[in-house]
Amino acid sequence: MEKIGLYLGCNIPFKAPDIEQSFRKVFPALGVELTDLPGAGCCPAWGTAPSFDLNTWCAVSGRNITIAEELGVDVMTGCNSCFGILSEAKHFMEKPDRKKAVNAILGQVGREFKGTSDIYHASNILHEVIGVEKIKESLKYQLEGLKIAVQPGCHILWPSDVMKVKEKNSFYPTHLRDLCEALGAEAPEYSRLEACCGMGGMRSTDVEKSLGLFTEKLRSIKEELDPDMIVTTCSSCFLQFDMSQQILKERGVIDYEIPVFYYTQLLALAMGFDPKEVAAISQTRRDGVIAEIQSEKRKINEEEPHGV
Amino acid sequence: MPAIIIEQEKINEAVKTIMDLGGTGILKCVQCGACSAVCPGVKAGFPLLCRLLIKNILDGRLEEIIEESSSWGCQACNRCTEVCPQNVRPQEVVFAFRRYQAGELAISTSTTTSQMNLYETGHAVYSESSKELRKKVGLPEVPPTSVGDAKAQKEIQTILEQSPMGELGLF
Repeated sequence: MEKIGLYLGCNIPFKAPDIEQSFRKVFPALGVELTDLPGAGCCPAWGTAPSFDLNTWCAVSGRNITIAEELGVDVMTGCNSCFGILSEAKHFMEKPDRKKAVNAILGQVGREFKGTSDIYHASNILHEVIGVEKIKESLKYQLEGLKIAVQPGCHILWPSDVMKVKEKNSFYPTHLRDLCEALGAEAPEYSRLEACCGMGGMRSTDVEKSLGLFTEKLRSIKEELDPDMIVTTCSSCFLQFDMSQQILKERGVIDYEIPVFYYTQLLALAMGFDPKEVAAISQTRRDGVIAEIQSEKRKINEEEPHGV
Repeated sequence: MPAIIIEQEKINEAVKTIMDLGGTGILKCVQCGACSAVCPGVKAGFPLLCRLLIKNILDGRLEEIIEESSSWGCQACNRCTEVCPQNVRPQEVVFAFRRYQAGELAISTSTTTSQMNLYETGHAVYSESSKELRKKVGLPEVPPTSVGDAKAQKEIQTILEQSPMGELGLF
């Protein structure tokens, strides 16, 4: 069994722990053992150390990575921001001068960054290590006839030169579409598929500008696809789509709402896990589509001989 | 008729400041604007990002724009880095400018909570209500992170205290 260090970050364990629970259910069931990284903290978020000092950013990121190095595992995170921050910090520390300066800081807390653990996104592991065939075999419910608008988010795509796993064309990403199609659903291209959702620093700096970008993206999704759900592999995008649809609805900007899932939540549902554990926290209602996903008619009959 | 007055000394100082803070590619910029064309911040209405921010720095106008909030609207998405034909890595310039602003405490007060959260719990985002949410989905109330680990918190505090952030008196 493959083994990987589960780096939690902040948003997933504290705001959307049902996403964390979905990781803990689906990865072991798909043959990837998750090892906790005890004492790991914030990546650190873009608005903290990275906005003040490069070496402090690298030291806080480096400290997190050393926990995985000591355990002899690579790092997997489900948060795009953490993925970007840790990947870039590791990239900066490839320069010997930077590494030396950062290790002088880490030495004060009894640590040394070696660079032996790689940084992966949960989506990377699903697409490259587990693969769509194994995902197809694990399903208890199939999603045929359901349409998904995918939202990969920004930090999993750019800058591609600091990442281990790359899309063929980062401006036309296909990995998340592949993963959704593996469940039997349809996950078509749409014009603003790679566009930013407006979460992050932009939202804390100017919420109206953030909502402006978000509204344009949401309208594109609704008008071009009119999907049954939006599926993302970024916890920040998840929060934006989940909470900001409610704001737009209250303001009368939209008169609809589209259920939102983190990909592993949808996968966990299709694998038959309990929605009370893996998809239980959201402002935008999901119970209708969850009931549809886990309905009797979608059950894959394991007893069927499949021509054997 | 007077033209734009360029003060070479001021330009050199601005460029050095930004390069020292991590914007090492700035001098390679030819002002083509490829970065701004793909920038979600520019699209959302933050004018002083990517090309225009770099232009101001290359003109030596650093103090003049210190209060600009555009840089804090940067998503750090790095679309700019991906498309830049000159390998400037514009996002690194934007963040270097942020560091210049932060060093002068030209920062939004909204960021102070995350700095304190990071210092106290090791997490920039933390909320006590998470315990209830975690219990609800069948997870232990406290995750295996720095939040429940005094030694980890001490390590993070030691790193932060001796950093430029500590010197600014943020904690």
